[in-house]
Amino acid sequence: MRQSYKIAIIFLIIMGFFPLVSNSAWLAVGTTFLIYSVVAFSQDIILGRAGAFQMGHAVFFGLGAYTTAILNVRFGIPIIYTFIPAIIIPLIMAIVLAGPIIHLKGDYLLVATIGFNIIFIQVVQNDIFGLTGGPNGIFGIDVVKIFGIEFMSQTAVYYMSFILLALTLLIMRNLDASKYGRAMFYINKDDIAAQSMGINIRYYKLYAFALGSAIAGAAGSMFAVQYSAVSPEAFNVVQSIMFFTIVLVGGSASLPGVLIGTFVMFVLPEIFREFATARYLVFGLAMILTMILRPRGIWPVKFGNIPKFLKKDAK
Amino acid sequence: MSDYLLEIKNVSKLFHGLVAIDDLNMKVKKGQIYGIIGPNGAGKTTLFNCITGLYTPEKGDIIWKDKKINGIAPYKIAELGILRTFQTIRLFSEMSVAENIMSGRHIKSNQKWYNGIIHTPSMKKDEKYNWEKVGELMDFFELREHATTPAGDLSYGLQRRIEMARAIAAEPELLILDEPAAGLNENETIKLAQTIRKVRDRGVTILMIEHDMDMVMSLCEYITVINFGAKISEGEPSFVQDDPVVIEAYIGSDEDE
Repeated sequence: MRQSYKIAIIFLIIMGFFPLVSNSAWLAVGTTFLIYSVVAFSQDIILGRAGAFQMGHAVFFGLGAYTTAILNVRFGIPIIYTFIPAIIIPLIMAIVLAGPIIHLKGDYLLVATIGFNIIFIQVVQNDIFGLTGGPNGIFGIDVVKIFGIEFMSQTAVYYMSFILLALTLLIMRNLDASKYGRAMFYINKDDIAAQSMGINIRYYKLYAFALGSAIAGAAGSMFAVQYSAVSPEAFNVVQSIMFFTIVLVGGSASLPGVLIGTFVMFVLPEIFREFATARYLVFGLAMILTMILRPRGIWPVKFGNIPKFLKKDAK
Repeated sequence: MSDYLLEIKNVSKLFHGLVAIDDLNMKVKKGQIYGIIGPNGAGKTTLFNCITGLYTPEKGDIIWKDKKINGIAPYKIAELGILRTFQTIRLFSEMSVAENIMSGRHIKSNQKWYNGIIHTPSMKKDEKYNWEKVGELMDFFELREHATTPAGDLSYGLQRRIEMARAIAAEPELLILDEPAAGLNENETIKLAQTIRKVRDRGVTILMIEHDMDMVMSLCEYITVINFGAKISEGEPSFVQDDPVVIEAYIGSDEDE
């Protein structure tokens, strides 16, 4: 088994036992950490693997959250039935929004996706069709109910997030060992060579956007459940920058890297909460130093994901 | 169907009004090793970029097996069976040699969109089959021992071989080589010529640009000479070698060969 999968499994075991030793405040941090890790992985599919500079990923995280909130609070649909729409709507929106700009390179795509994020925030803040609740957002989201059983405890929400992350890791592993995952790497490393090998760049980049946005939507839905509320500032450009930075600081396309990135960018500031805003000074400095000292991330990706029988004669 | 696999008919390519290719005609037969020579800046690579879809010619037609292919996207050209290497090596340099060659299996793999998320038995079979093909190619190109090494860490000669293995992995009918001997030492060049012959013996037609005259003259069966984007001579190596127009072009040009 590859080293990164072993690390992922050890990580899941540790996180599986975390609620047993944690108090309520830290359990909340832990839950959000799990959800943000899912978003970070979904950002990594687009940015780390396909190499598309998506700087508006909070839009799709937010679309998932708002889908659950609106369907539940405005239309009274049980949470469990909102999960699927919370995945489908961001997926469709990703194809619609990214389709016309997918050919843009690097910085151009980055600016265009920031534009999407700004528009998204404007739309939800203006309480569009009276659905999004304006700047205050939507309150009073139900708890998850399956067969009449209410999953309302903090621990229940934690484990639902845990399952979501485990599923995401499984998808990442499957993606890595498939034609689709490899095509993204080829495009990322040399797009001219990739298309000369018969890879349709547009198709695979859109695939990355669609898959990444669908996963972000699922995470958004869970985020709405955890806080039983959604509001615009949880999905603004600053949040998008955070997800973007997590991937680059942790290590593009690296499973341990993305987890470390999420920990460093989200959990560490929570640990140093007593230092108030001074902690962001250290935090910003850490970002700068990482990029200078480890430009490929704290835990860079290792390629060579090939079957054993091809490795045995290798030096 | 005509005798020719690839036909270049009156092709012209302009860059901001400057003529890069000027009314060029060429016919490549199936099974041939076809050479294109000419001084630097003569438009040879531009021609390759037109054939492989990276550029669209302003005038003329590129005919592949009796069908017009100019203006078609590069990835579709590859699907038609035309694969290439690059003058400036373009490998996925951080990735292992095996993964690089696997990119050639992309168009041969029949995995579905959902296989990126969920693996199925048929998908696993497809995956295994294609990796085995990669193994065979690594044997053919003597690359096995480097399977796990990042391609960018290897010597120039090996990188050229990996690029060729990657293209052959896609099972092309036509392999286009852009200066395959550039940057190679004498031993590596001899080895390369052997490899090119072995590839042709697999049934692959070869179209190549090369500056190494010894190699071109011994390897190619037919040669077209281009200068300032236009054809100045063509024929078998012995004919082209003694053609006064060709000698004039090489001696008269500022470029040293």
